Amino acid sequence: MRPEQIEGTLDRILLKTERPGRYVGGEYNSIVKDWDATDLRVALAFPDLYDLGMSNLGLMILYEQLNQQTDILAERVFSPWVDMEALMRAEGLPLYSLETKHPIRDFDMLAISLPYEQLYTNALNLLDLAGMPIRSEDRDSSFPLVIAGGHACFNPEPVADFIDAFVIGEGEEIIVELARCVQALRGRSREDLLRAVAGIQGMYVPRFYDVNYFPDGTVAAIKPNCQDVPERVLKRIVPVLPPPFTRFLVPNIDTVHNRAPIEIMRGCTRGCRFCHAGMVTRPVRERPVPEVLEAIGKITASTGFEEISLLSLSSSDYGQVHDLVSAIHDEYGEAGLSMSLPSLRIETASADLLSKLGDTRRSGFTFAPEAATERMRNLINKYVPTEQVLQTARDVYGGGWRTIKFYFMIGHPEETIEDVWGIIDLCKAVLREGRKELGNKANVNVGVSTFIPKPHTPFQWVPQDSKEQVLEKQRLLKRELRGPGLHLRWNDTESREFEGFLSRGDRRLGQVVQRAWELGCTFDAWQDRHFHDRWLQAFAEAGLDPDFYNHRTRGDHEIFPWEHIDVAVHRKFLLQDYQMSLKGETRIDCRDKCFACGILPKFTQTRSQTADSAWECPPVRPIAERKRTANVKLMR
Amino acid sequence: MSENPARQRLRITFGKFAAMKYTSNLDVAKIWERVLRRADLPLLYSQGFNSRPRLQLATALPLGITSECELLDVLLRKRIPLEDVAQRLRDVSPDGLETCDVVEVPVSSAALQTRVRSAHYVVTFEESVPDLSRRVAELLARPNILRTIQRKRRTVEKDLRPLINEIRVGDAGELQMHVAVGDRGNLRPGDVLQEMDLLDHWHRVHREQLVLAEMEELKCN
Repeated sequence: MRPEQIEGTLDRILLKTERPGRYVGGEYNSIVKDWDATDLRVALAFPDLYDLGMSNLGLMILYEQLNQQTDILAERVFSPWVDMEALMRAEGLPLYSLETKHPIRDFDMLAISLPYEQLYTNALNLLDLAGMPIRSEDRDSSFPLVIAGGHACFNPEPVADFIDAFVIGEGEEIIVELARCVQALRGRSREDLLRAVAGIQGMYVPRFYDVNYFPDGTVAAIKPNCQDVPERVLKRIVPVLPPPFTRFLVPNIDTVHNRAPIEIMRGCTRGCRFCHAGMVTRPVRERPVPEVLEAIGKITASTGFEEISLLSLSSSDYGQVHDLVSAIHDEYGEAGLSMSLPSLRIETASADLLSKLGDTRRSGFTFAPEAATERMRNLINKYVPTEQVLQTARDVYGGGWRTIKFYFMIGHPEETIEDVWGIIDLCKAVLREGRKELGNKANVNVGVSTFIPKPHTPFQWVPQDSKEQVLEKQRLLKRELRGPGLHLRWNDTESREFEGFLSRGDRRLGQVVQRAWELGCTFDAWQDRHFHDRWLQAFAEAGLDPDFYNHRTRGDHEIFPWEHIDVAVHRKFLLQDYQMSLKGETRIDCRDKCFACGILPKFTQTRSQTADSAWECPPVRPIAERKRTANVKLMR
Repeated sequence: MSENPARQRLRITFGKFAAMKYTSNLDVAKIWERVLRRADLPLLYSQGFNSRPRLQLATALPLGITSECELLDVLLRKRIPLEDVAQRLRDVSPDGLETCDVVEVPVSSAALQTRVRSAHYVVTFEESVPDLSRRVAELLARPNILRTIQRKRRTVEKDLRPLINEIRVGDAGELQMHVAVGDRGNLRPGDVLQEMDLLDHWHRVHREQLVLAEMEELKCN
């Protein structure tokens, strides 16, 4: 279909959809290049609703990186909601890009963002709506190269059958290298192109690796089946954070996070053992304060956004957080801007920070203690004394804020029912503090999610709680955390099972994902769209057992399905950390003491070439220089 | 009462085309807030917890309809010269949002929403409707056009007929409609088309003119 035909069809059908504004583009700051005059064309897909995808910073960064190149264009595509999908299929309307309304099949490359596992079926659906075979092996060079990246891709195996190549790690630089590679090998076979792609550091091409299994279903070996591909694919990192993206697309319709994010820091030094992001985004790199301030000015001028969010995994740990907040207050206090600083530690300073930031739209505070008893906090390596929680609560309520929201997790390894009682007691104690200050106006909102062990973390060995355990814990919470001022939220157990097997699944799950999609599964993250029975049917047909993935303790020496993906944190380090957790031993913030997680030996050269202050990891001198100093010492 | 902090009130006439026709009234308000901030006009903000710029849109435009005559009033905290305002707005507007005209109105004018009375629409059909004139005549001949509307637990009957000022077939086979808009009575073009059994005929609707009370009074004098 030609773009004009697509536009004509859209004009006829869009008013029949729930929100036509999702499907038309035309946003301020969107980049529309001359299709015919641009040599290389990349479609950037976020396989979820426009409303969610438009808030994704990663997508925006890639959009800019590619469009900055004069001979490359990048256009966006999101998953159509079920109403639009039905219309598209009925009309024979192929998946198209928002900028120029070209069919996705006409692009040279389709790059799919996979930040979380629940999007896998949507990714398959996008390929199908684009009129492409969903399996990589069925697509020749007449189809766009299909790549994927994002946090879910640190275990790419469950979708290895469908994606031609995965970006492991940070995408800012590699996306352009990839595009150049596709450009250089135009006209060559898909096999040739993939060979070249596999040669780019950080790219994983599944078809060049064979996986063998033991009779018990565990992985026996993952080996390259051809020359010139690495045994293990080391993740890609950028040595310093590139300048912040500021020309945000301004949506014409309301979206979930209708504001501009600025990443102030990447990585986290806390080492919470459950945290996937904390392990895979190392090393910690901070953005200098002047760069953040300049970005705020540029964003306001170029977008008119009224709200800016300062992103990081742990804002309180940003080295100059107080300077930053003061400077923002001085420079932008009068500008009618609302600033938000999420992910703050539970401490008095947090309340001060937010008051200073003038976060006026906020009615309360959100903290994530994750666990409520001392034993559990030690086990997960997120230590906050209870008295500190209560003192912070006093400060927050004393400052006139009415609501404190807590995030807890149940289902941590070794958790007992007493630890769940700990959550109940703590929430009630906090509410009592609130009542002293505000009487019946005080609120405690409690969000309790269930822990899912993730690859590349110290807890990758542990089973997740059984359905019965989770239900029992949830029952207790529901019974006890009720009444005025207490509001409990929890998530359902089926979607948790689902997230579990996709997180730690192996390549055999490809047939399960495909079958589930064939049975009509899409938008699995939406509770009313998650059809668990279809997933179970897909498992049964594949002769696989979800419990094998979710409820089994892995042996210390078991080869994981993601063993060939190297996030630069040693397996040895993770195992040691896991064993420490069982003994209740903790590790302090690694800014204060390097625990040799593996980042420095893997990125020695990169580290030695960046400024000491650029990373929170200790500086490394080049080997030659180290030898020289050693020799000098010897000679002395 | 404290002094009115508004120093100037601008009335912007703007068009909605292309992707803009899929934006709701709330969306349009947000889009304008951001356009005005990008244009760096000295906006006046409301007081209170959720401070927003003081804007007034005349009336909502149903989804899917294009327009060349939407009205927006903007209150400013200091006076600015009018000459380049329209151009400044155009420079920072998304596709399909077109500033046609900017004029100054007295700061204390009545709220725009309360002054809108009616609107002129043009409906064009992809394929001409042969018996269009007959359908128009039949509709206009009806003494009343009753519509039952579900309001929470009770149903009310509403007569659409008095809300129609004029409907006629134009020279090019298009439908010209002049119907009530605003808080005293509001008729959507879609409702008229439905009464004429035309919804299945692929069509486009465009709003050509908004009539304010002031203009009606001018005519009467």
